[in-house]
Amino acid sequence: MILDEVFDVVVIGGGHAGCEAASAAARLGANTALVTINLDLIGQMSCNPAIGGIAKGHLVREIDALGGIMGRVIDRTGIQFRLLNRSRGPAVQSPRAQADRSLYRTEMRAVLEHTPNLQLRQGMVSDLLVSKDRVAGVSMQDGRQIGAKAVIIAAGTFLNGLVHTGRTTYTAGRAGEPASIELAEALKRLGFPVGRLKTGTPPRLDGRTIDWDAFEPQSADEKPVPFSFATDEIQQPQIHCFIGYTSDKLHDAIRRNLNESPLYSGKIKGVGPRYCPSIEDKVVKFAEKDRHQLFLEPEGHNTNEVYLNGFSTSLPAAMQQDLVRMIPGLEEVRIIRPGYAIEYDFVDPRELGPDLQCHRLPGLFHAGQVNGTTGYEEAACQGLIAGVNAALAVEGRESFTLRREESYIGVLIDDLIRQGVDEPYRIFTSRAEHRLALRHDNADERLSRYGREVGLVGDQEWERFQQRRDRIAQVRKALTSERLRASDPAYAAMKNLVGELPESISLAELAKRAGVETRHVQQLLPTTVRFETTQQDLEFALADNLYSGYIKTQEAAISRLNSHDRTPIPSGMNFRVLSGLSHEMIERLERVRPQTFGQARTIPGMTPAALSTLLVSVTAAN
Amino acid sequence: MDTIVAVATPPGRSAIAVLRLSGPQALYITRALVHDDSFTPEPTHVVLKDLKTADDEVMDQALITFFKSPHSFSGEDMVEISCHGSPITVRKLLNRIQQLDARLAGPGEFTLRACRNGKLNLSQAEAIRDLINARTTAAAQQATRQLKGELSNALSGSKQQLIDIIVKMESALEFVEDDLPQLQRTAVLDDLAVVQNTIGRLAATYQTGHLLRDGIKVALVGRPNVGKSSLFNGLLSRDRAIVTELPGTTRDSLTESIAMNGIPVTLTDTAGIREAGDRIEAIGVERTHRAMADADLLVVVIDASSAVQAEDREVLERARISRHVIAFNKSDLPSVIDTNETVNGSKVVHVSAVTGAGLADLSAAILEPFGTVDSESVGLLVTDSRHYDLLVRAVESFDEAASLMKANASEELVLVGLHNALNFLGEITGETTTDEILGRIFSTFCIGK
Repeated sequence: MILDEVFDVVVIGGGHAGCEAASAAARLGANTALVTINLDLIGQMSCNPAIGGIAKGHLVREIDALGGIMGRVIDRTGIQFRLLNRSRGPAVQSPRAQADRSLYRTEMRAVLEHTPNLQLRQGMVSDLLVSKDRVAGVSMQDGRQIGAKAVIIAAGTFLNGLVHTGRTTYTAGRAGEPASIELAEALKRLGFPVGRLKTGTPPRLDGRTIDWDAFEPQSADEKPVPFSFATDEIQQPQIHCFIGYTSDKLHDAIRRNLNESPLYSGKIKGVGPRYCPSIEDKVVKFAEKDRHQLFLEPEGHNTNEVYLNGFSTSLPAAMQQDLVRMIPGLEEVRIIRPGYAIEYDFVDPRELGPDLQCHRLPGLFHAGQVNGTTGYEEAACQGLIAGVNAALAVEGRESFTLRREESYIGVLIDDLIRQGVDEPYRIFTSRAEHRLALRHDNADERLSRYGREVGLVGDQEWERFQQRRDRIAQVRKALTSERLRASDPAYAAMKNLVGELPESISLAELAKRAGVETRHVQQLLPTTVRFETTQQDLEFALADNLYSGYIKTQEAAISRLNSHDRTPIPSGMNFRVLSGLSHEMIERLERVRPQTFGQARTIPGMTPAALSTLLVSVTAAN
Repeated sequence: MDTIVAVATPPGRSAIAVLRLSGPQALYITRALVHDDSFTPEPTHVVLKDLKTADDEVMDQALITFFKSPHSFSGEDMVEISCHGSPITVRKLLNRIQQLDARLAGPGEFTLRACRNGKLNLSQAEAIRDLINARTTAAAQQATRQLKGELSNALSGSKQQLIDIIVKMESALEFVEDDLPQLQRTAVLDDLAVVQNTIGRLAATYQTGHLLRDGIKVALVGRPNVGKSSLFNGLLSRDRAIVTELPGTTRDSLTESIAMNGIPVTLTDTAGIREAGDRIEAIGVERTHRAMADADLLVVVIDASSAVQAEDREVLERARISRHVIAFNKSDLPSVIDTNETVNGSKVVHVSAVTGAGLADLSAAILEPFGTVDSESVGLLVTDSRHYDLLVRAVESFDEAASLMKANASEELVLVGLHNALNFLGEITGETTTDEILGRIFSTFCIGK
């Protein structure tokens, strides 16, 4: 076979997974190509122009702590930053930012173009090259053959993408872009188990036709919290978003026209996300609600386009205009782009190892929607892990994986490869059993050392991280060593605030009392500490202080659940004779040869049923 | 999945013995045993057949019952063979069946398969173990109730209420941008109290419940010749211990099980405590001391027809530190004892082992400290210490959650206790996964900014 070009790593797709994957692989030294259908749409936000949100914001900060790029790009292009859940504890607070859609794209492309070892190539991949049971490259629709030691599929909704509006369907990867059909067929031919999922997007409106006064403005945070640990300050001017509501009249109209919806006529077979229902679903499944909340989200500084968040629909394009006009404040509105639903292929992620490499075809990695996930952040973190591991695999280095107890990324990948998906998978804080320990603001403390070891965190960021760590250590020390005493001038005021106080109390204990705020504690810190540390440093130390006891309780409960971890597995145990174990489970056990039940439990992909069978057998054997 | 076989009846000679086969090969093996390749008995109907060796020699004539998957105990194809209960026949049959590609079942393996095939949950499997080991009808009745899933059922309502609370709090955290109803903390606290009370009440039944399962150990103690063995026989309603008028007749401790009011009681007759006359008696007295230390309750037997002796006082002094009842025996004879000196606040029963008078009172006095009501008439009782422990931990977790809730703590902290409680309940009723909770959120609230 004559190859036109040869790379170490080829990434298929220029979305959020593809960008992180290509950047990471190239920065680890792999000669990398990112191949995409349209170079002008690198980093495109296919759906809402926003990044972050509860748990998703955690993912972005973890990506950043590991040395990924999403956090920096959104920090430079975000036009409305908000820290969600401010009234709740620090573990469940999470940053979210509205992006300028076009700026984000431009910035992402610029970042990639400035990455050494990384080449961009336009074209559609139509097949995978396989040699000696390993992936060997890709072939393109236009006949080019590109050799590669590792290939990452990050094709988003493009694999066999089918757009629905009303009764009309057409193949597309996104509205206006061609679907990737040959590659999807190639995956099936290689024997991958493929399923079908569905997602949807709302219409985009012309901002000049909106009666803005009819909506309630929602402003950005006064002091935006950036995603990246390397960002000092958000420089983009901040805008308002607007909140409105649907009406009874609209609900009736939708119900009357349900037969026009491919969701209800049975045309759409793919499973959609329950947490992101279409407006049709909302009106039918929650018929008792007389109104549903909507957000008007401007798409950027230099455009009139407005995203109608909460109104995802697959009703006929021609009908959408009339329906949207039944929303108070949108009586005169004009739709720029209609909403639509899209069905696409995904590959069962149980095919993957924790490094996101396919067991079936070594050298091939899957990241993003191809694994059944939804969301830019979910895609990006998989891209990062796949990119790192592709580069490590090329060099023959050991793979890089994260554990559930140290990161949301670990939770996400573990969920995917163990349990598979039956609807588009989104991250939630409740998926993390170690939720209190996984805060957005301590992502660097949890993960930066890994990013440094693997080679993604540069000297400057590492220096910055160490300084921050030292400052926090200084605050922590002060919180435990400094005490508020009855003789102190501030004592009376604090006693007034919290009620009973002992004669002397450490600042750490005082901070746990209801009513005591960060600013109170800050005033009580010694001047030198106050001078040398930031408010974020203090908030960080106080969050540790708040959660320390609960984290211990939580860990105890988890270790109780895992109380069989130390049960030994006899060294010569023949897994094949254990009745009830599937062939796949036997293979996994034989590959790892666990010595304890705990080791068996952490083998990726082991099912609970297989584990209980194993446990009963080893308990009987002992 | 392979096919397993085991003898279901106790070892030894008996009228019949039952062999059970479970697994996909069960019917095939049975066909080979009866030498009939088309043998397909109607499920759950009994058929009489000759069982033959490979050489066509009849081993036994047996009743065969076929249970077709999934309508069997294990959920797999099962065959029960009731053959004649000669150990040699059983041995032969087992060997033949093993040659026909079944293997001997491990301990509890039929139940394990039933669990794995969703025929039983964990607490039902535990109930089977309890039912097999039950020593009284009341204990068997409780195990049966649990086998029917009554404990899981009794908890499932509370578990659903708890999941509802978790769903409300989790959605408040996860979907802050959605238009959800405001979390009403006082209403949630009320709901929480309801769940906690239900579980707390269930946990409290353990006091009676564990007695049903584990029973009470009672030792009859006293100086020689006060009538301990007569009382022992009286309580057992048969002449188990040798009784003579010679002091020191009982040289070794004797133990028997009886049911008192449905509660299994292990009764121990002990050698009388005195300065030992010989080595054998010394060992007997030593055993008495051990039995005393081991007992849940001591019955101190005192001869009411003679004056209190130093040895009586010694026994009483030892018994005072334990739960005990004083039985003034020989109430059929004139009483000479100064009861005031001995009673000292202890529970007292007057009894005559000779006439049987007062024996019912003694039984009642033995049970009284254990707070048992009539165990055969009460509702579901928690009988397993593991279940009790889990319920108590769940209640403690509720306490933590409720106090954080009252202190206005953020939801993620309150949820630590609630999730722990759910996990504890889940160890009885089966796990609740995050996906189930998320599923409930999405069906309860319209999520989707």
